[in-house]
Amino acid sequence: MSPIRTAAASVLVALLLLAPLPAASQTDPAPPTKALKELSLEELFDLEVTSVSKKPEAISKIAAAVHVVTADDIHRMGVLSIPEALRYIPGVEVARINSRDYAITARGFNGTAANKLLVLMDGRSVYTPLYSGVFWDVQDAFLEDVEQIEVVRGPGATVWGANAVNGVVNIISKSAANTQGLLVTGGGGNRERGFGGVRYGGALGSQAFFRVYAKDFDRGPSLFPNGQEAGDAARMHQGGFRADWTPSTADGITVQGDLYGSSTDHRNADPTVLSGGNALAHWTRQFSEHANLQVQAYYDRTKRDIPSTFGETLDSYDLTANHRFTPFARHDVMWGLGYRLTSDDVRNSASLAFLPRRLDQRLYTGFVQDEVTLAANRLYLTFGSKVEHNSYTGWEYQPGARVAWTPTPGQTIWGAVSRAVRAPSRIDRDLFAPGQPPYFLVGDSTFESEVLIAYELGYKGQLAKDLSTSISTFYNVYHKLRSLELGLPAHLANQAHGRTYGAEAELACQVARRWRLSAGYTYLRLLMDVDATSTDTSQEKQEGDSPRNQVFARSALDLPHGLSLDAGVRFVDKLPDQQISATTVCDAQLGWQATKTIEASVVGQGLFDSRHPEFGTPAGRREIGRSIYGKASWRF
Amino acid sequence: MALLARRASILALLVLLALALPSPASAKVANEYDLKAAFLFHFAQFVEWPAEAMPNKSTPLTIGILGGDPFGKTLDAMVANEAVRGHKLVVRRFREVGEADSCQILFISPSEDARLGVILSHLKGRSILTVGEGKGFALRSGIVGFVLSDRRLRLAVNLAAANASRLTISSKLLRQSEIVGPAGLPE
Repeated sequence: MSPIRTAAASVLVALLLLAPLPAASQTDPAPPTKALKELSLEELFDLEVTSVSKKPEAISKIAAAVHVVTADDIHRMGVLSIPEALRYIPGVEVARINSRDYAITARGFNGTAANKLLVLMDGRSVYTPLYSGVFWDVQDAFLEDVEQIEVVRGPGATVWGANAVNGVVNIISKSAANTQGLLVTGGGGNRERGFGGVRYGGALGSQAFFRVYAKDFDRGPSLFPNGQEAGDAARMHQGGFRADWTPSTADGITVQGDLYGSSTDHRNADPTVLSGGNALAHWTRQFSEHANLQVQAYYDRTKRDIPSTFGETLDSYDLTANHRFTPFARHDVMWGLGYRLTSDDVRNSASLAFLPRRLDQRLYTGFVQDEVTLAANRLYLTFGSKVEHNSYTGWEYQPGARVAWTPTPGQTIWGAVSRAVRAPSRIDRDLFAPGQPPYFLVGDSTFESEVLIAYELGYKGQLAKDLSTSISTFYNVYHKLRSLELGLPAHLANQAHGRTYGAEAELACQVARRWRLSAGYTYLRLLMDVDATSTDTSQEKQEGDSPRNQVFARSALDLPHGLSLDAGVRFVDKLPDQQISATTVCDAQLGWQATKTIEASVVGQGLFDSRHPEFGTPAGRREIGRSIYGKASWRF
Repeated sequence: MALLARRASILALLVLLALALPSPASAKVANEYDLKAAFLFHFAQFVEWPAEAMPNKSTPLTIGILGGDPFGKTLDAMVANEAVRGHKLVVRRFREVGEADSCQILFISPSEDARLGVILSHLKGRSILTVGEGKGFALRSGIVGFVLSDRRLRLAVNLAAANASRLTISSKLLRQSEIVGPAGLPE
């Protein structure tokens, strides 16, 4: 039986096996609307809330392929890191490389240095100008304080700017007013050897709130394909704070920051040492209901020291201002300006060099967007453009237009056309390998921006009271993609191009009051090619770095006695370029709310196999072992 | 095939684990927004408005929803043909706070979070029971905030704000609620 059929069959088996459950729990039908209003106050206060509903969305979110991971989702999955929380999202590829590193992208082009996804934490970009990607090993948060993770597939370039080519991940933390009190959490298991965290939130007068937190983890190594430990155990300490102050009804001020230190072991070398911190201030002034001004400034430092290979200290200074107002009836206009200075200082080695060693880059951005109400509650048009000036290529423009049509309440059909660019990163321009001549690989000092024209069409609908769906399709055309030109030395160039198309479907169903099922399907094709003058032979391989099919099903079930059972099965199609066969992975959590303040859970990840590979060619890859851990938390 | 069988057996085990536990009996359950709708309906009975808020019997008691509507038809179904102290209950939906001045109860949707300050300042002193999400809502001078705690719905009530709006909230409602004082700290 082929792997795909095996996987499809296991998903089917899972669904069939689980199907008899609602009948079993029909002894306790939830009160219908009529009955609900007949209940007394005491009875209402005694009711358990089963499904935490999705919060209503703004129009701009409706006309895009958006998936929101809620605080409840994070809690129910029992995940310990941000990348693990990004699994079970249609259109997103999450592949774990080793104990700490992940290859994450949306809509294709995955890689260990994937470069088409923008990631923001409370408005702070965590993308590195080194390769236009994200060092996932240092992106962490106290997950209990995360309000939601919003994932937008498709170009978000009009508002978010450079690098929001294939998608934007927006990690949003809770307001300090909503994280009051003491929370202590901790646990451990076979792979996650130990983890713990403390958060305390308090008030500073009547209009100001704060919280402080500290967390720590000690993670065991990944495995070699033969099952031996790969020696990449890791640990991390992180602490931070957030304060929210509303000095007047029109003003809101947020100040927050984090500090971290971390190390990852290597088998035959000194550990990689990582450290960094950030501080951010955000001010909102509300002039009227539809007019506001937001000003945000942050500083971020991140240091990375890979002994005898590479070192980097990156300082980022960022200032943005956004203004929203209604110049005429039916027009909701937003515009903004931004400035970012990144100061990158690398330590080169015998094997690798970035020249110049030290580089300051300035990024100036501006954007304007108008959301036009063509027919109230029915038809909206949003259009605008971002214009930016970067130190490498100068001016870049990224316009886009979206239409959302709501023929009947609860159903929306939307479409969009957008242009996005990926501006060059240091790896494209400044790379030399080895560290001294003669080089065998060099970057291209005239490397230009990669360009995407994206066409999207989608449908979102509430099919029945307890059944919702969303379907997104896209056709992306890329120009001037990075190619690897053979020669002595080999060099990078903009001589590749390609098309991708695909579809993502999601279905969520409240089967019974205590039981929620969701499922997702992702189809993706990449068709890569090179210019006639190119000598690149790697592009077709890239087609095989992303799975063609991905399927997932999740079940969230509440049981009596404060117990809950969550299970997810995900199928990821083969990665031909890496000789990784299709895999089906199962994750589950059994949770127990012991008392109002104490809660415990057991989490299993990768339950089907003792270990499985997710990314990398056979020669160098690591596999991910089955992980089981227990977790307890106490609120006061 | 063996692999499939093994996977199926693990799943079967998970399901058995779920079924082996006694069938749900103790706590009853409800959808989040169905329950919140029921609370909005009950607020009409457990809150008293000053006489001028509803000058005569023909004035309806209006439950407003400002911004994105999370209730669907639930709330409308719940208040259909209902009256409290002789006032017919009606549900109305608003996009702008300026339209909502004649409400008695106003649910402010999370979609309006970004401009909550301006909305609450516009409503300040009006005899409108403002209802929103989270303890932060009451701390920011909204009157009632829905709080999910231990899977149950609790209320955070800002009594000072209720008093300023000349609303009297029944002790039956307050008994199960956390009072958020003017100092922003639990009393």
